[in-house]
Amino acid sequence: MAFVSSGYDPSKPMENRITDIGPRKYDEFYPPVIAKNKGKWLYHEILQPGVLVHVAESGDEVYTVRVGGARLMSTSLIREICEIADKHCGGYVRWTTRNNVEFMVADKAKVQPLIDDLSGRKFDGGSFKFPVGGTGAGVTNIVHTQGWIHCHTPATDASGPVKATMDVLFEDFQKMRLPAQVRVSLACCLNMCGAVHCSDIAILGYHRKPPMLDHEYLDKMCEIPLAIAACPTAAIKPAKVTLPDGKEVKSVAVNNDRCMFCGNCYTMCPSMPLADTEGDGIVLMVGGKVSNRISAPKFSKVVVAFLPNEAPRWPSTTSAIKKIIEAYSAGAKKYERVGEWAERIGWERFFEKCELEFTHHLIDDFRDPAYYTWRQTSQFKFTD
Amino acid sequence: MAKHATPLLDQLESGPWPSFVSDLKAQAAKRAKNAENIEFQIPTDVVEDLLGILELSFKHGRTHWKHGGIVGVFGYGGGVIGRYCDQPEEFPGVAHFHTMRVAQPGGKFYSTEYLRQICDLWDMRGSGITNMHGSTGDIIFLGTTTPQLEEVFFELTHNLNQDLGGSGSNLRTPADCIGEARCEYACYDTQALCYDLTNEYQDELHRPAFPYKFKFKFDGCPNCCVASIARADLSFIGTWRDNIRIDQEAVQAYIGGEIAPNGGAHSGRDWGKFDIQAEVIGRCPTQCMWMEDGKLKIDDRECTRCMHCINVMPRALRIGNDRGCSIFAGAKAPILDGAQMGSLVVPFIKVEEPYSEIKETVIEPIWDWWMEEGKNRERLGELMKRQGFQKMLEVMDLKPVPQHVQEPRHNPYIFWKEDEVDGGWERDINEFRKYHKR
Amino acid sequence: MEYEEAKQKLVEELTKKLKSKSKFYFNDLANILGEKPRDAKKLINRMVTDGVLEYWSSGSTSMYGMPGTGKQAAAEHEEK
Repeated sequence: MAFVSSGYDPSKPMENRITDIGPRKYDEFYPPVIAKNKGKWLYHEILQPGVLVHVAESGDEVYTVRVGGARLMSTSLIREICEIADKHCGGYVRWTTRNNVEFMVADKAKVQPLIDDLSGRKFDGGSFKFPVGGTGAGVTNIVHTQGWIHCHTPATDASGPVKATMDVLFEDFQKMRLPAQVRVSLACCLNMCGAVHCSDIAILGYHRKPPMLDHEYLDKMCEIPLAIAACPTAAIKPAKVTLPDGKEVKSVAVNNDRCMFCGNCYTMCPSMPLADTEGDGIVLMVGGKVSNRISAPKFSKVVVAFLPNEAPRWPSTTSAIKKIIEAYSAGAKKYERVGEWAERIGWERFFEKCELEFTHHLIDDFRDPAYYTWRQTSQFKFTD
Repeated sequence: MAKHATPLLDQLESGPWPSFVSDLKAQAAKRAKNAENIEFQIPTDVVEDLLGILELSFKHGRTHWKHGGIVGVFGYGGGVIGRYCDQPEEFPGVAHFHTMRVAQPGGKFYSTEYLRQICDLWDMRGSGITNMHGSTGDIIFLGTTTPQLEEVFFELTHNLNQDLGGSGSNLRTPADCIGEARCEYACYDTQALCYDLTNEYQDELHRPAFPYKFKFKFDGCPNCCVASIARADLSFIGTWRDNIRIDQEAVQAYIGGEIAPNGGAHSGRDWGKFDIQAEVIGRCPTQCMWMEDGKLKIDDRECTRCMHCINVMPRALRIGNDRGCSIFAGAKAPILDGAQMGSLVVPFIKVEEPYSEIKETVIEPIWDWWMEEGKNRERLGELMKRQGFQKMLEVMDLKPVPQHVQEPRHNPYIFWKEDEVDGGWERDINEFRKYHKR
Repeated sequence: MEYEEAKQKLVEELTKKLKSKSKFYFNDLANILGEKPRDAKKLINRMVTDGVLEYWSSGSTSMYGMPGTGKQAAAEHEEK
């Protein structure tokens, strides 16, 4: 493969350099019906799972067909999306905040052919390319992080557990039988690039072993003050270490009891890896939301302290999630989110209904806010 | 025949949900065939090696990536994340596998013409694998080599009129909801504000001079579809301050069962006949609604605009006309001291071009304070916690109002300042002793 | 502060600290220069353009260093 220059001259990086132009402007990419009716929409309706109509003051309608998809996506698949959008939607398409793809048409007659086209496309392995759904009181697509496909500190994979979970929850992606929407999210370590901390159900990767120390190489590979400064709990200090061959080297010591397993030291110092087959796994958190509807936004709470990484399909994780959703579906009132349901029935009842074991790891002991999570009333329920 | 056997990943090809494994395999086969004679600038078998190293992670239960911090494009401190695999001999195609963040358009609307240009560029100069989209909102180009970073950037800026997004201690690529483009709940034009601020603050986005990351997110209404209140240092949430508009005929249509509640969101189960008392009036958090003479009444002064009634009856109830946004500060994910929601700073502000009031009275005073007082790697929310909400109001020259708090303080330990107390703190002990013996 | 003076001061201070570390937060640089962040930024941006300083990013945080210094370059196999 011959090198093909873009026109960039490495010896003169500033020559003809264009910078600070930002993203493309949003309205370049509006379909005509959107451009015409922007700010003048009257109401919307979900005609069937995954299919919405928005009606404008002008009487114009836009029909949206929403499909799920992996956020890890090849250009081949994007080109196929383009082909569909050209065929049915005048060459426009959009993505949602939750990795769904939306195809829009302005004419009702075009809706069914679009749905048929999308639903009919499958990968060679048999899975749908463009499953229609993800609207209303159901489970929509999972927002997630990179995991083992690209991250250097993940405690679990992302795309794998997401695929496994969505396979198990698939029916609820295409139905709207739940009391309210259920937002599932995944972050592959506690740094939470995916900000999963306010999701109905959060799947969180978690390490449980402090970093290993590659003493022989540590001072050669890393700048020790930077590794020390990277630690959020000040658990790392400089140390002199004698190697098996008697040589004394500069290195670090980790106060293991203070380690919160964030991996920030590994980012600064590749001689401090912490990934571990047995140590790493999944924490399940439940009951968060970001909407201000009825009750204030809420944080998710830890309800399962640890589940092992069971590649490729994470059965313990997916079955725990399924149990939670079934208990919620059976017990919650219409419009009630998972967290609102848990608060109404009480968390003691939540554990009973979801058949989850309550363990000492689920009692908060991290800094000041922990105190306010302990029960400070004589009101509680008895459970079996 | 695939380059690497992937028996574990193969098990993720079955099941109904779109399989990223199938997609990657198809992409690998397409590159190998190269029917279009693309002059690939990184190894042809990059996707095969990506599958191979991912399979190894599935086998080991551990990642095989290392971080790299040096690589980037000249003059920018963000937009590129350096990545190297720890098995380069076995998987040379992904030995360098850097990510590029490409700033996404507002609302994530695209023309197919633009998407194809992006694909052409990334097929030739990268792996052809993307994230649509990353958590912050950018288009993610997943995996290229160091020499290609400048080439991709040059082509993006020269041929696609397209810049990179943010990473590191920068303003991160701002993100918005679909807003007025296709949502009747939008109380301001999220895309217009997002685009304007993104362009106004390009220097802050590309050249890191902040203590840590800083995020703007724009939600058109309190439903918060982009989760701004949970994850943005400054979160702009649409709201209104006049009355919900009521169409009484449509209210009757909901009561009569002619229109499905909540836009039909609950049609997958038989929830029984719609009951406006139980489902709307009874669920109103402020109990500010009632039926009177067959009409729905709302005491709008008591309404906290939670959106529930509007969500349930979108054809009968509409957001008010005097619209703007509320601004919240300090949200962040848990690390370190626990997650924080955004706290209300500006209860209401009009959102009107050129947005000078938002820039000059909110964003810039907050940045000045944080840039001077923030410690290394301290998010705004942590500075607010360390120096106090009152301090932030002081630097913004904002008057405290009860809307700022959920409830007043629980302790009387008020740190009075000397100038707040009549007569100051300097007193004459001898004068005091005239009346109080030692 | 004049650019040349700032450059000299910063290079001098960073060189002194090289024994222990080669990467610095923005605020460390602003403190060395004794300038407010916004003024320091203008100087530092120019030093990046002139090749006096370069960025190092953890992905979540950014740092600055003098090109070619420190141990990261070798560890990242990006020695030039």
